[in-house]
Amino acid sequence: MLPLLALLVIWEVVVRAFDVSPRVFPSIAPVFNAGVEAIRDGTLIRHIGASLGRIALGTLIGIVVAVPLGIAMGTNRAVSTFFTPLLRFFSVLAGIAWIPIATLWFGYGFGAITFVIFNAVFFVVAYNTLLGVTGIAMPLRHAAASLGATRWQLLTEVLLPGALPNIVTGIRTGLGFAWRGLIAAEMIATNVGLGYMLFVARDFYRTEVIVLGMIIIGLIWLLIDRLLLAPLERATIERWGMVRAA
Amino acid sequence: MNAHTGTAPVSPWQRLWGAYVRWTARYPALASLVPFVPVVALWAAVAQSGLFPPVFFPGPAEVVQKFGTLMANGMLPAYLEDSVVRLAAGTAVGLAIGIPLGLLVGLSDRAHRALWPVLLFFQAIGDIAWLPILLIWFGFGLTTMTFVIVYTVLFPVVLNTVLGVRSVPLQLHRAAQSLGASKARVIWEVVLPGALPNIMTGLRNGLGFGWRALIAAEIIVGTSGIGFMMFDARRAGSVVEILLGMIVLGVLWYIVDSWVLAPIERATGERWGLVTR
Repeated sequence: MLPLLALLVIWEVVVRAFDVSPRVFPSIAPVFNAGVEAIRDGTLIRHIGASLGRIALGTLIGIVVAVPLGIAMGTNRAVSTFFTPLLRFFSVLAGIAWIPIATLWFGYGFGAITFVIFNAVFFVVAYNTLLGVTGIAMPLRHAAASLGATRWQLLTEVLLPGALPNIVTGIRTGLGFAWRGLIAAEMIATNVGLGYMLFVARDFYRTEVIVLGMIIIGLIWLLIDRLLLAPLERATIERWGMVRAA
Repeated sequence: MNAHTGTAPVSPWQRLWGAYVRWTARYPALASLVPFVPVVALWAAVAQSGLFPPVFFPGPAEVVQKFGTLMANGMLPAYLEDSVVRLAAGTAVGLAIGIPLGLLVGLSDRAHRALWPVLLFFQAIGDIAWLPILLIWFGFGLTTMTFVIVYTVLFPVVLNTVLGVRSVPLQLHRAAQSLGASKARVIWEVVLPGALPNIMTGLRNGLGFGWRALIAAEIIVGTSGIGFMMFDARRAGSVVEILLGMIVLGVLWYIVDSWVLAPIERATGERWGLVTR
């Protein structure tokens, strides 16, 4: 916490010492006031709500569709060798590169943005799930089968747990792409959301609103990371001993 | 000729599959190309069927044709060059700042205490959120785009370099020192090689985020580049160029990934036995 406080002090001192114009960079007080004002008139909550709603919906659909598909593709060797390069290609494209065509197909607004988030998460998670399932040692599957495991047991007790570390890695990467895609898409294609808030403030040179938005974006990502991703990783990847805890 | 008589008859499908396996074993590149054949065929069939209006969903033939015209009039090569040069320059600067900074934060406890939370916070803000204020500072131009890419590449490289530096066991430092190595030699011959796999991971993540940031910046800043081409086409309602842009981006990354990043990773991570893939 101390280094961040020091950063605040440096910010204020630099702005005062060099007499920086508020059109270039604001000092702390206007940012704080902009925050209070935005909370009071309800716009901040509306923007945050819109952004979070979109990312939650897109991510949820993405994961729910991607994991079963990834596992289904991974169980059969011929099927997986066929789909691996395809998914790799599309996971490379996932996210921002879809903004132009998404806005054309769905129009500017909710549909296009949610689609961009969905496909950012979907392709990356599906690809990683596929990698995870194909990475499970064949003897493990044979062992389970010869001990009389049904297909369902094989799925829930061998394939899914074995692929879980990869799935979680996929979710982290996909969500990172999706979060950036969300901000970019909101700048381009909507009239509500954090990205839109930043981009409109730019038109009026309201740097205090821009900086406020940047801080909020940073804080939300830190919260997502701490409350959602880190516990997931602790429960899977680190437990499996694949990552040394930082 | 008929040496096979007596064995079970081989179906044409098995013959085909056998030929496929043999050829892909001989030319591994084929294995990553063939799966695209049915996808393109399906795409052509759907476009042909008229299920979607052709304006929204053109077929592969039109995209190839567009590729031909844009290559011939020099637009595509010029835009592609712009994008690649921006990405390369941004990545180079990002690495040049990121690796030394990562070494500093990784090696010095004091620097780590002071800078680590700050780094985490700025990493969380994310590159694209900087675009509005950068546009105010630098206007619609190259500086803005370079800044965004440097920013994007920098953080994954720094954070992973720090992890890598800290994962080098202290005994190795001490062993090198007791053999008379100077501080610079310890860094150059112990710390840096030890951290290299992590630095590569950072570079790969950074590039993955970096070129997405580049596309976003080109769309929003809008002067030239593949992202600009795609969004300009979107304004004109021309799906063909958008699809072409996406395919070019995908192929480009595929090439960078498998011809540049993967070999370097093999030379570092897999040699150290750190990657299990």
